[in-house]
Amino acid sequence: MEIRYKTKKGFLENILLLEILKGLGLTLKRLFSKSVTIQYPRERKPLFPGFRGKHALIRDLSTGDAKCVACMRCASVCPSRCITIRFERDDETNARRLTRYEIDALRCIFCGYCEEVCPVNAIVLTEEYEYSDYTRAPFLFDKERLLENWDEFLKKNHLEEKRYLNPFMRPRGISLKELPSGKRIDVPKEWTLEGQVIWRNGKAESVSAKEISREE
Amino acid sequence: MENMDNNQRPFEPYEIQMGPQHPATHGVLKLDLELDGETVIGCKPTVGFLHRGVEKLSENLTYAQALPLTDRLDYIASMANNVVYSNAVETLLGIEVPERAKFIRTMVMEMARITGHLLWLATHALDIGAMTVFLYCFREREQLLDLFEEVCGARLTTTYTCIGGVRQDVTGHFLETLYKFTEEFPSRVREYETLIDQNRIWLKRTQGVGIVSKEDAVSLGLTGPSLRASGVDYDVRKHLPFDAYSEVEFEVPIGKKGDVYDRYRCRMEELLQSNRIIKQCIEKLPPGPIRADDSPDLVMPFSKKCVTADATFKSGVIKLVEDRKHYMEGDVYVSGECPKGELGFYFVSDGKGRPYRMHIRSPSYIHIGALPFLCKGQMVADVIAIIGSLDVVLGECDR
Repeated sequence: MEIRYKTKKGFLENILLLEILKGLGLTLKRLFSKSVTIQYPRERKPLFPGFRGKHALIRDLSTGDAKCVACMRCASVCPSRCITIRFERDDETNARRLTRYEIDALRCIFCGYCEEVCPVNAIVLTEEYEYSDYTRAPFLFDKERLLENWDEFLKKNHLEEKRYLNPFMRPRGISLKELPSGKRIDVPKEWTLEGQVIWRNGKAESVSAKEISREE
Repeated sequence: MENMDNNQRPFEPYEIQMGPQHPATHGVLKLDLELDGETVIGCKPTVGFLHRGVEKLSENLTYAQALPLTDRLDYIASMANNVVYSNAVETLLGIEVPERAKFIRTMVMEMARITGHLLWLATHALDIGAMTVFLYCFREREQLLDLFEEVCGARLTTTYTCIGGVRQDVTGHFLETLYKFTEEFPSRVREYETLIDQNRIWLKRTQGVGIVSKEDAVSLGLTGPSLRASGVDYDVRKHLPFDAYSEVEFEVPIGKKGDVYDRYRCRMEELLQSNRIIKQCIEKLPPGPIRADDSPDLVMPFSKKCVTADATFKSGVIKLVEDRKHYMEGDVYVSGECPKGELGFYFVSDGKGRPYRMHIRSPSYIHIGALPFLCKGQMVADVIAIIGSLDVVLGECDR
């Protein structure tokens, strides 16, 4: 397809500055339409669930400690290697016990791989993005700090732990059999493979499980 | 005065340095301009101020871990880089992506093209002196960035695709918002055109500036809209279709003269064509899985079928199945049409989970190589217009 344009102007167009008046008219028209600007510190845009922000370790309500089982998956998948984990063995049960969990937030590139591979949903990137500081030290999150981050996040957003859902806890559209048991949590129907949406009759609609199997 | 009479020139040719801290070089590009009066007689670009060693870094990372690095190449349309990179690795692994993932990828790639072209139009117009377009373009770009945030959790550094599909399915709200966007976007493009298309200052700054003929454009290695504006009908999406591009209808805009104005017109037409592709993708989006069955695990760089867990509980050793080929050995080059031009990934693989060598054919680097040819004989002020019209991003050029 060859592009077409007409840039030659007639005599009247040339002396009447028509194209400039049109442009000015557009600006004038927009002066009376609704403003799209958000006055940031006073107004805030609501974030979507799953925004990759400040790190937190989810507190296990039954023990009061982190859920982490020290499987090292997050530390080994991290592209920038900002996660440090140390653990020891319990003498009786030989289970791993977390002794140190550190995230260097300044090294982190916020790809969200750690929360996606975590088999027990222990680590999460919360929807919190305002945490600037003047020194480097506050960005080295140790385990206590990460748990604190979680408490602060819940408090700030008036959430309870059970109600908080993040799309990385159970990625949308992934079938159950591909997920470890810790990630098979209850999510809205739209997030599951069975309830995935397609475009039909001019709006997005959930497709029934039958249709998926027929497509395959 | 005596001196002037002798050689008819008030000044000897002299050199000025433009950049790297110059607002109109779109990043940290440095140009050593050799000037005769106000005419450019020589131009030497210096690049590398934003070099982070992406190619070398990726040799120590698995293929999945190197994917977030591709966000940082062309950071204003990172979805497109993700898609091309995943396509390249999938070729190496021999994975066929599910149909739904293909359509989602095509959709986000065209969204990335619109965000890229909108930022190009905004800054290009700002360089030339049209302030208002900047504000209008960012209004629409913001809507698309919000959609990126909804679908993958980040606005710029998306890391949306994974090897073998995409990381998250789309939601109903996403599709509905995007469909609404596609319906009103053509009227927005008309708004930009009202502001600058016929504007006499715009025409004088762009028409007849930086002309590249068909033959020169090919021999300089230009790709993307910069090549098509010179009249060469070449688009990777049409001629070597990847993802769902073979299943959607669109046209490739071709220019006539190859000047700055033609490049501008080509990109404006592409905005509308991208909009058309997104609309078709939404309407045709099939149900089904979003990741291939044998897509590799993020932690283990091999597909799940290659791995067996040892039977003993305590040892927890994970073994690789020997008889299955994990990654193909040899070289692979896969390219895709990014907003800037043809982005290609070249892997040398030794069959392990990491690239032995990765090379990125980035369009911006090659476009900057064409600058000396384009700038010769132009005015200093036109150099700004030419850099803008080539749409270079230094993150991708220096990588």
